[in-house]
This record gives sequence, structure tokens and C-alpha cells, in this order.
Amino acid sequence: MSNDNELTGADILLKALKDQEVDTIFGYPGGAVLPIYDAIFGQNFLKHVLVRQEAGAVHAAEGYARSSGKVGVLLVTSGPGVTNVVTGLTDALMDSIPIVCISGQVPSHLIGTDAFQECDTTGITRPCTKHNYLVKDVSKLSETIHEAFKIASSGRPGPVLIDIPKDVQFAKSKYISKKDISFREHRIKAGSKNVDKNFVIELVNHIKKSERPIFYVGGGCLNSGHQASQELIKLVNKTNIPITTTLHGLGCFPGEDKSSLGMLGMHGNYEANLAMNKCDLMINVGARFDDRVTGRLDAFSPDSIKFHIDIDQSSINKNVKVNFHTNTDITLTLKEINSFIDSNNIDFGDKDYDNWWGQINEWRKKECLHYEQGDEVIKPQHAISRLYELTKQKDTFVTTEVGQHQMWAAQYYKFSKPNRWITSGGLGTMGFGMPAAVGAQMANPDSLVIDIAGEASFLMNIQEIATAVQYKLPIKIFILNNEYMGMVRQWQELLHGSRYSESYVDALPDFKKLAESFNAVGVRAKNISELDDTINEMISIDRPVIADIWVDKKENCFPMIPSGAAHHEMLLSKYDKENPENQEKGKVLV
Amino acid sequence: MSSTSVYPTPINAFKQSKRSVLSVIVDNEPGILARIVGLFSGRGYNIEALNVTVVDVQKNLSRITIETLGEEKVISQIIAQLEKLVPVHSATNLANLSESYEAEICLVKIEFDNEEQDQKILNFADIYRSRTVQKRQNIVVYEISGTSERINKFLDDLDTIGGIKVELVRSGPIGLGI
Repeated sequence: MSNDNELTGADILLKALKDQEVDTIFGYPGGAVLPIYDAIFGQNFLKHVLVRQEAGAVHAAEGYARSSGKVGVLLVTSGPGVTNVVTGLTDALMDSIPIVCISGQVPSHLIGTDAFQECDTTGITRPCTKHNYLVKDVSKLSETIHEAFKIASSGRPGPVLIDIPKDVQFAKSKYISKKDISFREHRIKAGSKNVDKNFVIELVNHIKKSERPIFYVGGGCLNSGHQASQELIKLVNKTNIPITTTLHGLGCFPGEDKSSLGMLGMHGNYEANLAMNKCDLMINVGARFDDRVTGRLDAFSPDSIKFHIDIDQSSINKNVKVNFHTNTDITLTLKEINSFIDSNNIDFGDKDYDNWWGQINEWRKKECLHYEQGDEVIKPQHAISRLYELTKQKDTFVTTEVGQHQMWAAQYYKFSKPNRWITSGGLGTMGFGMPAAVGAQMANPDSLVIDIAGEASFLMNIQEIATAVQYKLPIKIFILNNEYMGMVRQWQELLHGSRYSESYVDALPDFKKLAESFNAVGVRAKNISELDDTINEMISIDRPVIADIWVDKKENCFPMIPSGAAHHEMLLSKYDKENPENQEKGKVLV
Repeated sequence: MSSTSVYPTPINAFKQSKRSVLSVIVDNEPGILARIVGLFSGRGYNIEALNVTVVDVQKNLSRITIETLGEEKVISQIIAQLEKLVPVHSATNLANLSESYEAEICLVKIEFDNEEQDQKILNFADIYRSRTVQKRQNIVVYEISGTSERINKFLDDLDTIGGIKVELVRSGPIGLGI
């Protein structure tokens, strides 16, 4: 029945990827995707990056997407291939990262027979994707792929999976190009394109009335694109309102700007958390009132009028009730606010919030990020500060693993542009950073890409160093090595009577030798005198480098709002003895 | 019911929970029911009753009606979550419409001891405009439709008449805005 116009499912996939301007795919072959790998063999527009385990492929796709603003794409086989990416899909869903995962499936006639490497892929991934498909008919394949890319990147972005049985990869049909497909609006859920004028007027009026306003900015601002960040900077400069960002909001506003209070939340700055607690007007731009940010809900910013801009309707009033909200895209909304202020000649000049800034500057005097660097042992905070100072002239991309090092990176590394900070926030996936660095370096071949890591997290996806070596990706893995799962140890110290149950990482490898065995480069700093030289050496080498930085084993990450405590109940340092009253209650939380 | 968690959980929310009937229009495609049911179980919401049928063959649409429990805030969140699912066209809380009509159908199988009891049940059923749909020896099946409250009342009252309910099935409520 086939004629010359018809292509195999595998070729249709490749053609659709080209149509979608995909030039990089992360993957690992296996039985159920061999026809697709055969199609990849015979083409040259698509660069395939062979990872060492499928988890690496999905985090690399996330790193690629976060650092480029494009959709990240990965290809895995059926059964274990796809179950290995479940963590990464969940990670992308939690952090709203657009990725498309193509998975092979056993041939249609074997589905349901417990065939070799069969699993219920759409069943397993349904709760951890924005949407997923099992393509049973090759004539639906083109349309499905184009819809998948549209869904992944529209509205609140997220992961989409397409499961393709092997026989469908061989079967033939006509290819339908992207421009010939009309998407059904209800399926795309792109959010409103109309700015809510009333919201804008109310907001400007409230800014005029308020005494203690604050911007609270999250990852949604990042997902709205670079222009969102530019509009935000304009608005902050016009109004002189202080701004704090979430973990994912870092970079949307220049971290070194005087209006920036830094990150808020569990390990956020003292001034940022207190300002949130005491403000009378909160302007939430693309943040979702996560529990790591709000602390105890009944004590969260009790006296403020709350405005919320979020493209996701379900983020409105989910955890915190707000007074005004809009579901229109952040860029469009901020643009309208700026032009409303300009066209009505509203001048905030006489309203410099002097008392409010005075209060904030008092809080700043606490110097909540202060640490004492001695002459010998490297303080982890100092390692990050030096890394920042020695790399800030370059356009640097930073990925992280999860734990203390991640929080120190968020506190001490300052970002001036969006998309330079790539971290696993919502899910908190250890092992995220190194494959994410592989993805970020693929997307930004000429930039410096650093994975700020802990030794425990690094070990979780260590195999991907081989990927970096194979593709000559000069990523830098900057390990703050304290031989502990530091954040676990910190919680055990604070909440479990210093009973360090299973948090010491015994039998660590020699990371320098390990690097060499992978044909990468290993460097090490054992004490403060070696730190700067080691960092400079690391940066200067045009190959993958593992930098093993030996840091103080007992250092804890402060400030800290213990779980179940409120913003004003922060622990400031180990010298701070005021434990919040509800420590017992907090113990049951995560 | 008390919770040891300091988060406001749906369990706490049941204190002020009320019954809501949600009407959801979806593309009729594989996995859509699993998506909806998974959303409820994954986020800790309750399904009291569920009804699914194709309502438009040409446009390939199904209507799913879900009876659930929760305080208003939880119900709004359920609706918002449902509307995020790709195949969902719309999700409506029937209680939020200015006017809506709800109905449910119930079949109940009753065993009677003698003719006299049979007659008594028949007379009683008549008051509810419930009709006999099957009868065999000393077993009779009645069909009753109407609001869920009406059916509940019918079933409660039936106990006082003395028939033994052997088995029953209910469709769960369905409804429309008017």
C-alpha cells in the first residue's frame, strides 16, 4: 500500500524533530528503539549525545532546556530505559522545564503480554508528565510529535513523553509538517493573551498606597523569557521596591543590585524573609508559594495585600489565598504595568519608601551570610565566594546537585542574567547537576559551565563524566567535599540529637585519580592557601575537570527556617541558641 | 479527625467539606479516565461517585461526572487541576451554576416472604414512582431515579417496610446546568 511519499515511523520522527529545529538529542539505544537509531545513523542535522545511563539523558535534556530556553529532547528504549527517566521527568514537572521524551515500546501485538523489556510506560509516567502518548497508528505520529512540542513549551512548561511501539517505527505513512497542523486550543492551554487591565490598575493603585511593598519573583519569570526579566528590572527601577527571588528566580534580577534582597525561604536571607513577613503589599511574579518559601502558613506574611501573576491557574490560591491574580503571561503583564505607569506619568519618585528601606537596611546589618574563614580549613561558603569572584567576568552557567552545597551556591554565587542557574528545586534530585552541566555545555559550547557539587550527590550520576569526555565538553565539577551528606547531617544535628545515622560517606573514591581514570583532569585544594590556584587551574583547562575541594566537615547552612517555623523564626548561625518552639512539630515535616 | 501535620491537609479540610458534583467534558481518548482518577488519588481528593459516557460521537467527547467532598478551596483546586489535563475541555462545579439539575438512577433487588409483603412494597414504591423492572419468584427489582437525596430516602424507608435488600446498584449523580 505504501508509495514513494510515505516514510517509516522512524523517519517521520526524525523529520518532525528537524521541523521543530531540534539539533541535539540525548539518548541511549536498546531493542525497542533500534529503527530510530538506524534513522539517526543516516543523517547529519541531529547531534546525538550518548549518555551512560538514561537518568543522565533526562537531566542533560533539562540542563539543555534551562540554559537555552529551548525544548530539551531525549530518546530511550522500553522497560528499564524509560523507568530510569521517571525521576528526571518528575523533576522537570516540578520545576516546569520543557522536555520531550521519546521512548520505544515493544511491538503493538506484544503489548500486555509481559514481553521482554515491556512496561506500562504511559501508566508509569502519567503522573510525572504534563502529558503523554502511546502512538498505536503511524498516521497519527507526525501530529502527535508536533502537539507534544507545543504542549511542552506552552503555558506552564513541562515534560511530555511519546511512547512508540517498534512496529510503528517500521510502519509507513505520510509526514505532516508543523505548519500544516492546526492545534486544538483546549489541549494546548497556552494561557490568556489578554492582559487584565483591572489587575494592572489595582496593582498600580496599591503600589501608590503601600508603605512596605515587596516583589517576590519565581521561576515563572524565567519561563516567560528574557524580556520578562527586562520588564521586571524596569519596573523595580521605576518604583524602588525591594525584590526577593526564589531559588529558581535567581538571575531574573541582578543579584548584586541594591534593590535585591537575595533569595528567600528556608535558607534565604534574613532581610528577605523578614521583609516578606512584615510587608503590606506582596507582588508575586511567577512563584508558587512553595512550602520551602512560605514556612508555617498561618504565620506567612500576615499583613499584606497579595497580588499574584501566574500562567498556571492551579497555582492561584493553592497554598496561600491572594487578593488579586491574573493568569496572563508575565512578560505581557509586566509590559502593560510599565506602559500604564509611563503613559499616565505616574511618578513614584516622591515615594521612596524611606522608612521601609531603613528597616531593611537594619535587617541587613545582621549580615546573615557572614562566616569566619580561618587560615587552614576551607569554609564551603568561602569556596563558593571565591569561585564567584574568579568566574564573574565570564558568562558562566552554574548547575548544582542537591544539599548544602546547593544552598551555599544559591547564597554566595550571584547571577546577573536569567538561565545561568540550573538547579533541581521542587524535587530536589541528587545527581542532577553533572548531567545537567553536560546539557548546558551542549547548548552553550563556548561558555564556562560549572557543576557545584557535593561528593555524595556527584556519586549518584558519576558515570556521565564519560559522556563529557567523549564529546569534549569542558565542564567543571566543583566538589565541596565534606565526606557527609551535609544537609542530612545538619538536620540530624538540629532535630535528631546529633545522631548521625548513615550520613557519613565512608569509602569515598580519590576524585583526582577517578578523573584521570576517565581521561578527565583532577585537581584538589586541601586548604585555604590552595583554593584560588586550584580554581584558576580548573578554569584554565579546556577539558572536563573534577575539582576536589576539601571543606570544613561540620559547617552548617544558615540562615535556616526549620520546617514548621515561620519567616521571623530563623536560625541565624550555630551560635544562635533560640530554637523555635515548635521544633517537635517541625520534625514530622520534610 | 485530627492531624499531627502542621500543614493544612485535605483531612483537616473535611471539617467544612461539602458535597459537590463536578461535570467534566473531555476528549474521548485512551487513558483519560486514568488521568482523572490518578489526579484524585495522587492529590488526596475523594471520589464519592463517578460516571463516564460518550456524549458526542462526532466530536469524540465524553462527559465525566464526579461527586466529591471538600471545602470550597479544595473544590476550586480540583477544578483548576482538572482543567490543566490536556484532554479536558472544561470542568464545572454544578453547585456554582445559577441553576442545575441533578439525577441518579438506582436498581434495587428485594426479596419478599409472601404476597402480602410484596404488595406492601409495591404500594410503597408507588409513592416514590419507582417501578418494577423484573420479577422472578420471590425476587423483585425496582428502578428509581431522581436526586441522590430522594434515592437515599427511598432506600431508608424501604427498610421500615420490611423487604430485604439483596443487592443494589447506583449510577452516581449526573447533572446539567440549565
